[in-house]
Amino acid sequence: MKKRYAIGIDLNKCIGCHTCEIVCKLENKVPISVWRIWIKEGLKGKYPLVRKVFLPVLCNHCENPTCVTVCPVKASIKREDGIVIVDPHRCIGCRYCMAACPYGMRHVNPLLGIVQKCDFCLHRIENNSKPACVASCPAKAFVFGDLNDKNSEIYKFVIENNISVLKEDTGNLPQAFYAGLDFTLADKKGMPE
Amino acid sequence: MDTMLIYNVPMQETFGVWIAVYFYLTGLSAGSFILSTLRYVFGFEQFKPLAKPGVVLAALLLILAPMALLIHSGQPMRAWHLFVFINPSSPLSWGSFLLTIYPIISVIYGYFMFKENKKWAKIMGIIGIPSAIAVHGYTGFVLSVAKARALWATPIMPLLFLISAIISGIAMMMIVNVIQGYFFTKERKINTDLLFILGKMLIWIIIFDLFLVFCDIIAHYTGHKEGIEVVKHMFTGTFGFLFLFAEVLVGKVVPLVVFSVPKWRKTSIYLIMAIIIMIGIFIMRYNVVVGGEHIPIV
Repeated sequence: MKKRYAIGIDLNKCIGCHTCEIVCKLENKVPISVWRIWIKEGLKGKYPLVRKVFLPVLCNHCENPTCVTVCPVKASIKREDGIVIVDPHRCIGCRYCMAACPYGMRHVNPLLGIVQKCDFCLHRIENNSKPACVASCPAKAFVFGDLNDKNSEIYKFVIENNISVLKEDTGNLPQAFYAGLDFTLADKKGMPE
Repeated sequence: MDTMLIYNVPMQETFGVWIAVYFYLTGLSAGSFILSTLRYVFGFEQFKPLAKPGVVLAALLLILAPMALLIHSGQPMRAWHLFVFINPSSPLSWGSFLLTIYPIISVIYGYFMFKENKKWAKIMGIIGIPSAIAVHGYTGFVLSVAKARALWATPIMPLLFLISAIISGIAMMMIVNVIQGYFFTKERKINTDLLFILGKMLIWIIIFDLFLVFCDIIAHYTGHKEGIEVVKHMFTGTFGFLFLFAEVLVGKVVPLVVFSVPKWRKTSIYLIMAIIIMIGIFIMRYNVVVGGEHIPIV
């Protein structure tokens, strides 16, 4: 059966250690000042009632991706298994996909002049391993797998938890599922007053 | 609620100032082409002095405009990919063909015009008008299809771009008219009748443009939360001065008032107003492109 990769993040477990950011940079040789996954941090309340909230954001690998619609040279591709990738030999670096992505999850590589993005660590998946962020998370907040496989971790995660996605109203059908999402961080600018 | 954001990653620039320059140049080109067809297609004899400079500028600017795109692009040597790998759902893909066809049409049209072959000039002009509208209208679609940014993703964007293109084209033709009269005629006499006709045209087009901007603002302000964010950003945020003062007040309202007062019908005043309008339209492009992506989306 066709695979459909998705990622799940249990925000009740996330401790905001930024490990996923660093590991992603090391694994994919991401240039300075840009990130493929990062943790938004927010603060709620006033002393003595204070809580920090975290939200790791990464490419949602949408079912209906805007970046693929607008790419003028078909360098952005939605693969059969659900992963959205950029063909590094075809991309002309026009940055239209960056402008159109509602999640702002793409970056331009200043050395190569092309646009790059999270590809769920394709080289690792092909060797039956997990993406670097998932494998390295010390709190085991990340869940990765094939949604079409009924025995997979991600399928259980999606069924067992109350899940939500970011910017559901765009109609892009994002494939990164969050459990325990705090809406104040999911908001565009982060925090409503 | 007591909440604050303490860590986030700043966004990288997507469409920078070069795309604004590109939109501005295609707008000038389309506007001057449409003005140059007024005589050869629609038969208004009073616009005869503008026909030839109009078509020359239209072709030149449209050859210049893609240079801004090449500067913007990260891999300019791969520009040929645009003609080989075509994605029909992407406005940039349409644009690569429009940007090729339109200069060719305007060069052929100019050739017949300089040969005084009125019949063929008219035919090529009739073909050229829709392509001039398309070559600038598609840039509006480029923005309105990018649904991430609330300021861009409005259906009014192509129309707003076309109207401001015509405004900047007319303003450029006013300057061309003054230069032509002062430097390239034997009597050193400026064709003031034509200048004032262009001013009169601008009154109505600027009113229509202000109406479109008003519609856009009202629809954003009463719309969803990102739209409200856009209006706050354009009125009180970083772009408040550029939008309210430079673009709307100085770039549109002041020329509108000056052109409507018969007492101020002087060449020097009209020339200054034309320069102000051209700068104002460039600021409008900058506000839309850079201002639109300046609003954070994550």
